[in-house]
Amino acid sequence: MIPHILLQIVLMPAIAAILIFLTRYRTGRRAGFIAGGTLLYTTALLLIAANRIYHGEIIFEEYPFAEIVNFNLLADGLSIAIAIIMNLCCVVLAFYSIHYVDHRIEVIYGDVDERTWRMYYTRFFFLFPFFATGFMGIAFSTNLLAMYFFMELLTIIPLYFIMAQFGYSDFIERYKVALMCLFWGVAGATVFLMGILLAYTHTGSFEIASLSTLSGDPVVTWVILLMLIGLFSKLAIFPLHVWMPWVHAEHPTCIAGLLAVYANIAVYVMVRVLILPLHDDFKVFSIPIMVLALITMVYGSLLAMAQNDVKRFAACSTISQISYSVIGVAALTVWSVEGGLFFFLCHIMGKGILFSTAGMLVYMTGVRDIRKMGGLAAKMPITAICWTMGAMSLSGLPPFSTFVAEWIMFTGIFMHGTHGPSIVLIIAILAITAVGLTIAYTFWSIKRIFFGPMSPELANNDKIADPPVLMWLPILLLGVVSICLGLYPRLILDLFHLVLGGIL
Amino acid sequence: MMLVPVEVAWLCFLFPFAGALLSPVLARIHPGLRDYGALFFSFLGALCSLMLVPYLFHLDKLPLESAFVWLTVPIELNVGVLVDPLSIVMANVVAVISFVIMVYSLGYMKGDPCLTRWWMWMNLFIGSMLLLVLSNNLLFLFIGWKLVGLCSWGLIGFYYKDERKYWIGGPPPTKYTVPSHCGLKAMVVTSMGDVLMLGGILIMYAYAGTLNILELYETSAVWLPEMAKSSGLILLMTSMLLMGPIGKSAQFPLHEWLPEAMAGPGPVSALIHAATMVKSGVYMVARLLPIFFYGYWVSGCIEASYFFIIIAWVGAITAFVAATQGMTALELKKALAFSTVSQIGYMMLALGVAGLTISSLEGGFTSGIFHLFNHAMFKACLFLCAGSVIHTAHSIYMNDMGAIKKFMPFTWIFMLIAALSLMGVPPFPGFWSKDAILASCLATNNYPLFALALVTVVITAFYTTRFFGMTFHGRASKNMEKLKKKGAHLGEVHITMVVACGALAILIFIFGLVGLSLEHFFGHGFEHTLIEKLHLPLEHAAHAMSPWLVPLLSVASVVIGIVPAYLLYFSGRLDPKSIVERYAVMRMLHKFFWNRWYIDSFYFMFFVGGVTKLYTFVPKYIESPLDKFFHKIIPSIPGRLYGSGRDVLASRYGQEVVTEAPAERQPVVGISLGYALLLVLLCIALYLVAMLIRGWLIGP
Repeated sequence: MIPHILLQIVLMPAIAAILIFLTRYRTGRRAGFIAGGTLLYTTALLLIAANRIYHGEIIFEEYPFAEIVNFNLLADGLSIAIAIIMNLCCVVLAFYSIHYVDHRIEVIYGDVDERTWRMYYTRFFFLFPFFATGFMGIAFSTNLLAMYFFMELLTIIPLYFIMAQFGYSDFIERYKVALMCLFWGVAGATVFLMGILLAYTHTGSFEIASLSTLSGDPVVTWVILLMLIGLFSKLAIFPLHVWMPWVHAEHPTCIAGLLAVYANIAVYVMVRVLILPLHDDFKVFSIPIMVLALITMVYGSLLAMAQNDVKRFAACSTISQISYSVIGVAALTVWSVEGGLFFFLCHIMGKGILFSTAGMLVYMTGVRDIRKMGGLAAKMPITAICWTMGAMSLSGLPPFSTFVAEWIMFTGIFMHGTHGPSIVLIIAILAITAVGLTIAYTFWSIKRIFFGPMSPELANNDKIADPPVLMWLPILLLGVVSICLGLYPRLILDLFHLVLGGIL
Repeated sequence: MMLVPVEVAWLCFLFPFAGALLSPVLARIHPGLRDYGALFFSFLGALCSLMLVPYLFHLDKLPLESAFVWLTVPIELNVGVLVDPLSIVMANVVAVISFVIMVYSLGYMKGDPCLTRWWMWMNLFIGSMLLLVLSNNLLFLFIGWKLVGLCSWGLIGFYYKDERKYWIGGPPPTKYTVPSHCGLKAMVVTSMGDVLMLGGILIMYAYAGTLNILELYETSAVWLPEMAKSSGLILLMTSMLLMGPIGKSAQFPLHEWLPEAMAGPGPVSALIHAATMVKSGVYMVARLLPIFFYGYWVSGCIEASYFFIIIAWVGAITAFVAATQGMTALELKKALAFSTVSQIGYMMLALGVAGLTISSLEGGFTSGIFHLFNHAMFKACLFLCAGSVIHTAHSIYMNDMGAIKKFMPFTWIFMLIAALSLMGVPPFPGFWSKDAILASCLATNNYPLFALALVTVVITAFYTTRFFGMTFHGRASKNMEKLKKKGAHLGEVHITMVVACGALAILIFIFGLVGLSLEHFFGHGFEHTLIEKLHLPLEHAAHAMSPWLVPLLSVASVVIGIVPAYLLYFSGRLDPKSIVERYAVMRMLHKFFWNRWYIDSFYFMFFVGGVTKLYTFVPKYIESPLDKFFHKIIPSIPGRLYGSGRDVLASRYGQEVVTEAPAERQPVVGISLGYALLLVLLCIALYLVAMLIRGWLIGP
C-alpha cells in the first residue's frame, strides 16, 4: 500500500520542478530526464491506483486547509482514467522536449555561454512539471476552490511563463500573446469562480458533491450558465475561440499538445461539476450547447483548411475537435457522455502526436509555412508516419481509439435524437457529416506537407532528415497507446462506467 | 467432405494482417524474405478461405458464428466472424483473386524502392476486406470498411512523389492528375459516404439495440415496425445507409473518384476494381437486403421499399452513365475503370430488383452476387493484362498502342477471354450472370430499368471491342514504331505476371463452361439462407415469356455493340476521328462523354470550389472581425476612455495633449489595459473569497 498515493501524484512533479530550479546549474541537460522520470513515476502510481479502482475501490485522501476549503483528493473511475492519459501526454512531451528546448534556446537566445544556457534549459523543465500538477489537481479535486486554484495554476505558471520565454515570435509579440493567453485563462476561470461563489451563497459549501443540493433551485440556472461561460472560453467554443490560434501558434511546439489538454480538460470539469451533480437542471442547456458545439466543429474545420502555418493548422483543428467531446457530453446520455470523455482522451493523444510532429517539421526544416513544404515524406519518412498517425487519430479512423470514442459518442447522440427532439437528430446527422470535413483537412495536410515534389530549397538541404530518436519514439509510443486503447477500449470505458453508469 | 472449425474464418484476415505487420521485420532480414513472406501470408489467407468452401455443401450447418465479448459497457458487443454462403463466396473472391494479384505484383513491382510499404498496404488491404466480409457485426464490418478506404488512399497515391511518368489524365487540353491528388479524392469522396452510413447504422442501432447481423435479421420484425411509427425515419436511415455503398462502390452520384483511382500501380487497380474496395458496397447492400425485404414484404413497412427502389435506379443509371464514358476513354485503365463502375451498377441493379417484387428475391440476389463473382475474375484479368500492356507500350494511352498482339500473344489471348466475358458473350461467365440480371429485371416488369440495362449491354460490347481493338489490333501507333526502332523490349513481361493473368483466364474459361450449374449452386445456397434460415417469403412467379427471350436479346445487343466497334477499331474500314468530325451530333456526344457528363467538373466547381470559398470567407469575414473585437476593440476601450477624457481636458484648457506611444508598443499597452479590466473583476471575486474565509476564521 503506497501512502498518500494521490498526493504524491499531484505534488511529485512540483517537487521535481523545485528540485530542478534549486540545482539548475548542476543538473543542466539532465533536467529533462528528471522531469520525465518523475512523471514516469507518477504514471506508475496512477496505474497502481487504477488497478485498485478497477477492483471496486475508491481512493479518497483528506487534506483539510480550512473548514470550507480543502485539498481533498478523490480518485474514482472517471478521474483516474482521465488522469492517466493526461499524465501520459505529459511524460511523452517531457522526453520530446529534451531536444526541442535545446533548439528553441538556440533560436531565441542564440549562442550563449554554458551557464546561461543551463539557466534557460532548466527554466523550461522547472516550469513544465507544473502542467502535471495542475492537470492532476483538477482531476482529483473534490473542492471547487481547489479546482479553481489548479486551473489558475496551469494558466499562470507553465502556460504564461513558458510561452513568454520560449515562444516563437519576437520579444514583444511573444509577451503580448502570452498576456493574451493569461487573460483569457484568467477571465474564463473568473467567470467560473463567480458561478462557484453564487453556488456557495446557496449551499454554504465549496464541495462539488454539495452542488447537488442546488438541484431544482432557481439559482441553479445562473450557476450553470456562469460556469459554462467560463468553461466555454477554455474550450474555445465559438465565438470564444479567438485566442486559440494565436496561442497555439506562439507556444513552443513541445507544449502545444498540453495546451490541447489544458483546453479540453474543461469537458471533464463540465461533467464532474455540472452534469453529475446537476443532471436534470443541465438538460435545458443541452440543445443550445450542442448547436454551439456543432457550429464550432464546422467553423474550426473550415478555419483549419484556410491555414498555411503548420502550427495554426493544428490549433484550428483543436478548436474543431474539442467540440466533438462537448457535443457528446451535452447530449447527456450515458453513451454520449462516456464517448465524449473518451474522445477527449483520444483527442489529446492525437493532438499530442500532430503538434509534436509539427514541431519535428519546424525543428528539422525551420519552415512553418505549409506552402513551402511538400514531398517531405522522402526525406522524413518517420515524421510522415507520425503525422499520418495524428491525422488518422483525429479523423477517427480505426484502429485508433478515436474511432471507438466517436462511435460510442454518436451512438448516444443518435439515441437521443431518434427517441427525443427531432432537432437533436438533425444535429447528430450534421455533426457526423462534419467528421468528413476533418478527414478532408487532415489528409489534405498530409498531401501538402509530405507528398508531391519537394521544393528546391528543401531538396538541396542535406540536413533535412528525421529528428533524433528521443523526439519521434515517444510520439510513436503515444500512437501505439492510442491504437491499444482502440483495440481494447474496455480499459478506459469500464473505469468510466463505474462512475457514470450509475448516475446517467 | 470434411469441415474445418468455424474459427478458421478468423485466420482468413489475421494472416494478411500479420503479413502487413511483419513486412518491415522481414525486410530487415532479407528483401526476398519480405517479398515471399508477404505472398505467403496472403496465400494462407486464401487457403483458409478455400477451407470454408465445403460448408457450401452442408448448408444445414450454416450460418455459423465465432465471437468473443469485446465490450460490455456502455454498449455490449460480441465481435467475431459470421460464416454463411454470402460471406464464404465473398471471402473466396477476395482472398483468392487478391492472392493472384499478389503473385503478379512480384514481377510488376520488382525493383521498386518502396516495396516494404507496398507489401504492408497490400496485405492490410486484403485483411481489411476479409474482415469486412467475415465480420458478424456492423461495427467491425465498418472498421474493415474504413481500413479498406485508408488502404486505397495509401495505394492509389503510392507514387506519392507525383513524378511526371505517373500522372494520369490528359492529353492537353484535358488536365493531368497526380497520384497523391487521386488518393485524396478517393479518400474524401468515400469518407463522406462512410460517415453517413455510420449515421444510418446508429439510427438502426437506436431501435434494434444490436449490431450483430444475425440478431438484426431475427429482430427486424420488431424494431422495423417500431421505427415505421416515426414517419420518414426508415427512409432517412435507408438513404444514409446506402450512401456508404454508393460511395465505396463508386455509384452515381459518388462515382467520380474511381476513374482516378487507377493512378496507382496496375495491381492496385486490379485489387480495387476486382477483389476488394468496390465490391464492399455490393456486399453491404446484400447484407442489409434481408432486413428491408422482411420489413417491406412481411411487416408491411412501405418506406422499406425505398431501399430497393433507390438501389435499383442508382445501379441502372450508373451502369449506363459509366458505360457511355467508357466509349470515349483514351487511357486503357480508365476505360476499364468506367467499365467497373458500370458493371457494379449491374450488381446494384440486380440487388435492387430483388426486392421490387416478392418473387424476385432469389433471382435478383443470386444474379447480383454471381455477377460480382464473375466480374472479380474477368476484371482482375483485364487490369493485370492492361498493366502488362502498359508496361510494354510505356504509355497509358491506347492510341500509343495498337497491333500489340504480335508482341504479346499470351496477354492477348488472356485479355480476349476476359473481354468476351465482360461483353457477355456465351459461354463465358459474364454472359451467364448478365443474362440472369436481365432476366430478374424483366421479371419485375419494370421495363424502363430493363431497357436501360439492355442498352448498357450494347454500349459495353462497343467499348470493350474498342479498347481491345485499339490495344491489340489495328495499326501500330507511332509510339510503338518508335519503341521498336529504339530496340526496346516489346514482348511478354515478367513470368509471374504472365502466370497470374493465365491463371485468371483459365479460371474464367472453366467457370464459363460450368456457369449455369454454378449459378444454380449459388442460388441454392442463397435460397437456403434467405428462405429457410431467415424465413423470408418465397413466391415463384409464373412467367409467360419464353426462356430464350432474354438470352437472345442479350446476345443480339452484344452483336449490335460489337459490329460498329469492329469496323472502327479492328478492321480500320471506318475512321472514328473523321466520323466524329463530320457529324455535329457525334462531336457533341463525344465531348459530353469525354467530359464525363460534366459531373466531375460540376462537383469540382460546387464542392471543392464551394468549400474553398467558404474557408476563405470564414477567416476574412468572421474570424478577423471577431479577432479585432476581442483583441483590439475591447482592449482599446480603456485607452479610448483615457483619450476622450484627455480631449475633454484639452478643450477645457485649450491645450493639445499629444503623447503617442511608439506604434509597436501600442498593442501591448492596449491589451494590457483592456485585460486589466478583467483583472479587476478577478480581484473583486478573490476579495469575495477572502471575505468568506475571513468570515469563517473570525466567526459570525
